Amino acid sequence: MASVSRVLTKRILLTKAFPAATRCSSRNIHFSIYGKKDNAKVSDDISTQYPVVDHEFDAVVVGAGGAGLRAAFGLSEAGFNTACVTKLFPTRSHTVAAQGGINAALGNMEGDDWRWHFYDTVKGSDWLGDQDAIHYMTEQAPAAVVELENFGMPFSRTEDGKIYQRAFGGQSLNFGKGGQAHRCCCVADRTGHSLLHTLYGRSLRYDTSYFVEYFALDLLMEDGECRGVIALCMEDGSIHRFRANNTVIATGGYGRTYFSCTSAHTSTGDGNAMVTRAGLPCQDLEFVQFHPTGIYGAGCLITEGCRGEGGILINSEGERFMERYAPNAKDLASRDVVSRSMTIEIREGRGCGPEKDHVYLQLHHLPPQQLATRLPGISETAMIFAGVDVTKEPIPVLPTVHYNMGGIPTNYKGQVITHPDGEDKVVPGLYACGEAACASVHGANRLGANSLLDLVVFGRACALTIADTCTPGEKLSPLKPSAGEESVANLDKIRFADGNTRTSEIRLNMQRTMQNHAAVFRTGDVLKEGCDKMDAIYQTMEDIKTFDRGVVWNTDLVESLELQNLMLNAVQTIHSAEARKETRGAHAREDYKERMDELDYARPLAGQERKPFQQHWRKHTMSTVDPKTGKVTLEYRPVIDTSLDQEECSAVPPAIRSY
Amino acid sequence: MLSVLVAKRLVSRVCQESLRPAVVELVTTRGYKGEAPDDSRGDLIEIPLPPWTEKDGETMDIKKRRLLFQSRKRGMLENCILLSLFAKQYLNTMSEHQLRQYDRLINEPSNDWDIYYWATEAQPVPDVYTGEIMDLLKEFTKNKDQEQRLDAPNLEYLDKGSQ
Repeated sequence: MASVSRVLTKRILLTKAFPAATRCSSRNIHFSIYGKKDNAKVSDDISTQYPVVDHEFDAVVVGAGGAGLRAAFGLSEAGFNTACVTKLFPTRSHTVAAQGGINAALGNMEGDDWRWHFYDTVKGSDWLGDQDAIHYMTEQAPAAVVELENFGMPFSRTEDGKIYQRAFGGQSLNFGKGGQAHRCCCVADRTGHSLLHTLYGRSLRYDTSYFVEYFALDLLMEDGECRGVIALCMEDGSIHRFRANNTVIATGGYGRTYFSCTSAHTSTGDGNAMVTRAGLPCQDLEFVQFHPTGIYGAGCLITEGCRGEGGILINSEGERFMERYAPNAKDLASRDVVSRSMTIEIREGRGCGPEKDHVYLQLHHLPPQQLATRLPGISETAMIFAGVDVTKEPIPVLPTVHYNMGGIPTNYKGQVITHPDGEDKVVPGLYACGEAACASVHGANRLGANSLLDLVVFGRACALTIADTCTPGEKLSPLKPSAGEESVANLDKIRFADGNTRTSEIRLNMQRTMQNHAAVFRTGDVLKEGCDKMDAIYQTMEDIKTFDRGVVWNTDLVESLELQNLMLNAVQTIHSAEARKETRGAHAREDYKERMDELDYARPLAGQERKPFQQHWRKHTMSTVDPKTGKVTLEYRPVIDTSLDQEECSAVPPAIRSY
Repeated sequence: MLSVLVAKRLVSRVCQESLRPAVVELVTTRGYKGEAPDDSRGDLIEIPLPPWTEKDGETMDIKKRRLLFQSRKRGMLENCILLSLFAKQYLNTMSEHQLRQYDRLINEPSNDWDIYYWATEAQPVPDVYTGEIMDLLKEFTKNKDQEQRLDAPNLEYLDKGSQ
């Protein structure tokens, strides 16, 4: 206890800039919040005072993944005194898991045009993507890749010394008529890591201040404007308020709302939840992308290459069921077809395992030599995470949550927007980029290798927009002295929570409910049942039980705060999915199998009457939650169908999406 | 101002010296991720990050609490599961020397995948990380008991009150 208070005292006097010279001021404000003292297990020595340290910056970025680092770097380069608040060391952000690459129409492997990339992305989004943002992203892509190369990213090269580009799903030439395009630039198989390393290293040269292992709690909003962020320092439990005229949210996705996801345990939708608690909407959360083969439970991705090498999917009867669903392509049908087939087998009772809730990926019919040379990584992963010897037994697999297309709504400049009275309105001082944002470039479905591109283009866009609208050293907007008090009160409540249901129980209930009711296969009554269950589980948060009362490196506390964040994401996701009565992109409804646009694009358009906005579904969902009751409210916002410049790049009118 | 610049230059020079030998040792390709061409590792050489340093003045108790958080929150799922299970098994019984080895192993490498490749023996371990903890981790990863490792464990195993 004595060492803790010594550490606390030290923290109050120093700011945690690394390694920049300290340019920010620190004043001490003491919030005296007295928690429950009548719990016999808690020592009276544990202080329930939360010392608060104030910092002042020109801009604060929350999250240090690809998007956050690009924004922080851009801002620092432009001369802004920038803070980057992150719960993880930058090179340990989830971006490091990305091994694919970045799409850009550089034309190194064959003639290419960014307008073809634009077309592919609009079509991939199933016409829910905003075409101005997609225009911006695909046009900027070649310049963004060259810029990264200049920063020091060692892209893989062809023999001629040009950047090597490879094929990736959904990328075509000549507006879908010219065959497969090779647009994906990579750094061997560590593109994500290289991106993080390069951007982090460069940003340090511009004196960006990093606050590592600080957990952001909430936005500091006043008069509808964002004035900064309040965060918990994990190292000593002190509270820090980062005041800035510009806040950029780049906190990533929220895969952890599901039982099975390929995401790290850090993907907890912290930014989406902060925005929700500030009373602002999130957009298109029902669009969650599933990858057919993740290891059951663990969720680690098993590459499609397995099926390419001859691996097959079987049900509890030992049947190769893909032969029924896709007689020609069989196990190599497109991802959403395979995911849906697997889910139908499980629903119809032919699932495997004691709970009949997954299927098997069988590889043991393949020669052991082939397994060892062509798929060595799979054998290791299967043994480590499923306890399975692939030469003897099949691997349990399940369609697994992989990416969140939805998030914080922004315009193509990265500014967060709301949609009051039918018009887009910017929230002053607030920006978002990366998986946390919804610009929307991915619409209802994301194409592979477009995500890393999204990070760098919109991370840079946020920095550029801030540089255009502000100058470094501007006077800060005023902030109430008690700003952030509710966040600290919530923190204290969770820290001493002594209900009946443990954090892990509530989390598992939420994950199983989402997995069972809002997965690949969605139908009205199952979704409705899921909504009711989720609402009930939301209420159990009042009865949560934590066990670690400490203040320093309290993992239990952080995981419980993350659970609060996940809950807000989960209720919006399932309610939005229940309300959307159509099939579009990743949102597949068995009871509404077709897309419902304003016109029927499957038939000639002449003579058709446009459906009014309320009667079709080609629109963005904007969801808000009342955090006290868990009640979700849904509104809608039209899709932007015009590009930034009709002459440079004509918008793609909606059509039937077939490959 | 001047001293900060001088210090930074010194630091980057030191980084470059210490990084180069490690870089040369590591194998650069992983067979099963397709035909991804060779990696020049130019970014790691030209853009050195500030060197990792041990934290001073931390009690063993605080160190364990910090390493618990840092084991559970990693860059990709494979490491999240592996290291949190490893921490559940071994963290509370590690000696001070072992804790310092573990601290270095999980906090110094910049690419989380490298830790996974060393643990699964897909790549050779650099000299600086060989030792008791690396051996324990490699053994643990082999999963000789073939237990199902479906997810990172819940934290409740730490709750003394429930035991």
